[in-house]
Amino acid sequence: MLTLLPQLLISGISTGMLYALIALSMTVVYRATTVVNFGHGDMVAAGAYAVFVFGLGFGLPFLVALALAIVLLFAVGFATQRLLLQPIVGGPHLSLAMMALAIGYTLRGVLRLEWGNETINPQRPYLQDAYMFGNVVITTDDVVICGIVLLLLVVLFLLFQATPLGKVIQATFQSQRGAALVGINVPLFHAFMWGGGTALGAIGGVMLSMIAPLTPDLGQWTLVQGFAAMTLGGFGSLGGAVVGGILLGIIQKLLGFYLNTVFIEITGYLVPIVVLLLRPQGLFGRRAAVRV
Amino acid sequence: MADPPLLSVRNIEVRFGGLVAVAGVSFELRAGEICALIGPNGAGKTTLFNAVSGNVVPDAGSIRFRGEEIAGLTPHEISALGGRRTFQNGGLFPELTALENVLVGLHVQVGSGFLGLLFGSSSARAEVAATERARELLWLMGIGHLAEQKAGELSGGQQRMVEIVRALATNPLLLLLDEPAVGLSPTARQQLAVVIRNLARTRNVGILLIEHAIELVMSVADRVIVLNEGRKVADAPPEEVRADRAVLEAYLGHA
Amino acid sequence: MNLRRIFWLLPIVLLPLPLWLNQYQQYVLNTALLYVPVGIGFNLVVGNLGLLAFSNVAYFGLGAYVSGVLMAQFDVPWWITLLPAALIGGAAGAIASIPALRGVRLFYLAIMTLAFGELMRWTYIRWEALTGGSMGMAVPVPNLLGWTLDTDLRRFYVFLALVVMLVAITDRLLRSRFGRAFMAIKDNEIAAAAMGIPTDRYIVLAFAWGGAVVGIGGAMFAISVGHLTPVSFDLTELLRQFAIIMVGGLGSLTGTIIGAVIVTVAPQVFISFPGFDELVFGLLIILVILFLPRGLASLLARAHPVFVERYYRG
Ligand SMILES: Nc1ncnc2c1ncn2[C@@H]1O[C@H](COP(=O)(O)OP(=O)(O)OP(=O)(O)O)[C@@H](O)[C@H]1O
Ligand SMILES: [Mg+2]
Repeated sequence: MLTLLPQLLISGISTGMLYALIALSMTVVYRATTVVNFGHGDMVAAGAYAVFVFGLGFGLPFLVALALAIVLLFAVGFATQRLLLQPIVGGPHLSLAMMALAIGYTLRGVLRLEWGNETINPQRPYLQDAYMFGNVVITTDDVVICGIVLLLLVVLFLLFQATPLGKVIQATFQSQRGAALVGINVPLFHAFMWGGGTALGAIGGVMLSMIAPLTPDLGQWTLVQGFAAMTLGGFGSLGGAVVGGILLGIIQKLLGFYLNTVFIEITGYLVPIVVLLLRPQGLFGRRAAVRV
Repeated sequence: MADPPLLSVRNIEVRFGGLVAVAGVSFELRAGEICALIGPNGAGKTTLFNAVSGNVVPDAGSIRFRGEEIAGLTPHEISALGGRRTFQNGGLFPELTALENVLVGLHVQVGSGFLGLLFGSSSARAEVAATERARELLWLMGIGHLAEQKAGELSGGQQRMVEIVRALATNPLLLLLDEPAVGLSPTARQQLAVVIRNLARTRNVGILLIEHAIELVMSVADRVIVLNEGRKVADAPPEEVRADRAVLEAYLGHA
Repeated sequence: MNLRRIFWLLPIVLLPLPLWLNQYQQYVLNTALLYVPVGIGFNLVVGNLGLLAFSNVAYFGLGAYVSGVLMAQFDVPWWITLLPAALIGGAAGAIASIPALRGVRLFYLAIMTLAFGELMRWTYIRWEALTGGSMGMAVPVPNLLGWTLDTDLRRFYVFLALVVMLVAITDRLLRSRFGRAFMAIKDNEIAAAAMGIPTDRYIVLAFAWGGAVVGIGGAMFAISVGHLTPVSFDLTELLRQFAIIMVGGLGSLTGTIIGAVIVTVAPQVFISFPGFDELVFGLLIILVILFLPRGLASLLARAHPVFVERYYRG
């Protein structure tokens, strides 16, 4: 049994990297706007479909299709914030949560109307191969996913640490009024970050669709894993999203293999419940104090 | 020996992470006494209130209300024992009308339990009585004409008045007022002073009053406690604190 | 004030309605009726108490499965299963309130309760011995004290009676000091506690009572559709239930009734394709949030004072 452990860890890390990317894209939106996008998963799925349509439908080369999809999803995120969320900012939290959720469902409905419940298996833009290291198998998928996610993490890290953008994000998260005072166009910034977060998530969606069946329900799966990774790492923490995502991938694989395959499906639901009951601030979050 | 004091606070300490907001404060309050709590911003006045009203659990010390330990009780339990408070800001229910706000204050007095409500007779009579009382109190404080208005739509001063009416509607034994004069006009302040004095003199309510409006403090308080950085630095009748220029200048800055 | 009493004529007016309905329309009307208790329980927690709990479908599914399984495997008459359906629904509500009692709020609460609801769906899928798994289970023809409820028409009258009863009780609850306390908790929880309201107990009460009422709705659903599958209790169902209370009006009892009717009937106007429900409910919710945030009930309340509800601000 234990001889399989290294293999499980490898494939857990590989999927976990994807969860990390998706959790990170949700965290970017949350940090920037303090709104949790309950429709994020469906936007991620829409990204995967967009690449499929541009690629197979219009016959465009993969990288072109990917670039177009990223631009499209950025526009979707940007427009969503501008047109649908900005008008109700400052209103009840329920409205914000429900608006995002409803947008996600509308997207999902459109996907399902077009593709029904059929499963699409998008072509990889590279040849899938497998390499043996002792008794551990590493696939090209593993390499590509880890490589791209790591690359994106480095880029994001530099973006947040070494450019003014990071400071703007921090400032706006802490006090929107304060940010407005120092001359930040807060609504525009929010729309921009929604676009960015959505595009980032879409990249994750494209990779996810290579290792998991692409159906309109991919969005829900994605959202749940994203939430689980975020709560595990600590809601709102960028580093926490990454570590939480990787841990989630590993936990999922281990429970699924050693206990019961049903855990592959339900770990994403169990994790937020357990974490929020035992350690609400997650691994890296700070406990929010309630002020009287 | 005489009865125990209404409120007896012993060595209360409240910490927030590394910050010690209240550092070992002790004092007593008798029934019918008005005690002002003053000190600069961040001195720990509101936190001390929160400890007494059950909104924070003190890290050390004891709080006795009529001889019974209440440190660690929940706010609604302390409220039910007869300790009521107002909040420094935003203490009302903005979507409820002024009248309904006061009725929530009377909640525990408006009869029936859940099952009684579903299957027995409704508590209509208790509700009618409470409504009458609430209206009467609102008129008494000069805001009866606002009864049907949403609390969130009232002016700051009007909101203060509604909150005070709500706090005293149940005839509490102990009243904690956190900066009640903010936003009140000079006339309303005088009216508030009269109300506070009456509650103490005629109804024997023990009152703790946090207030930056120094003339109000001087005109109503029997005693003034000065807090600074979580510590009690003075506890004396107003004239003495007033005479103690050093206290005023050091701890009120704007005195 | 007493003009409100005329509302109790409404069910009487509905009595002869089946004369003009074909069987399919009758089925749709029954469905609208059963969604009234489902919406009532949901609205109590989300609309009146103001907590972001996404677990309503869990109580709904539990009520349906408890009723269906008891009938199919233990030969318990349907009307008796209403009690366990309500009890289990209420217990699930109380469980779902635990995070709220520990101070979990806003989207954290939403995520946890959403997860709870989805875990319940996995339970129906995996507990095949009882539920038939993803293939589902048939619900036997129910009877009420010897009277078989084998047609939509017969079920209509039973549903109507149940709904009238549940609406009457909820109306009474919401107009009492409990309704006021719920609204106080929604507005300012800390101040509510300072007024002597045991907020924790009220939160459990609202969740449990809401869960029980929704559980009864689930038992009605079980005999109305006659066949239970886990997909009936997925997130699309959650969206439908959200659409009901949001279109009707958060915190409004009248709104819940209107919402149940509209959200049930509206999609019937079109031919349904897969994905269609999601699209319609999604768009409905978006439009309501943007243009009518307090729901249709707010239009009624503004139109005539008779529609003004005591603790609903239209
Ligand atoms: N819930 C909390 N979490 C962390 N720190 C807190 C909390 N409540 C108060 N503090 C801190 O404790 C200290 C005392 O605050 P407190 O509100 O009691 O002061 P105060 O005397 O009422 O001041 P003011 O006159 O401004 O109302 C402050 O430094 C404040 O920032
Ligand atoms: Mg203060």
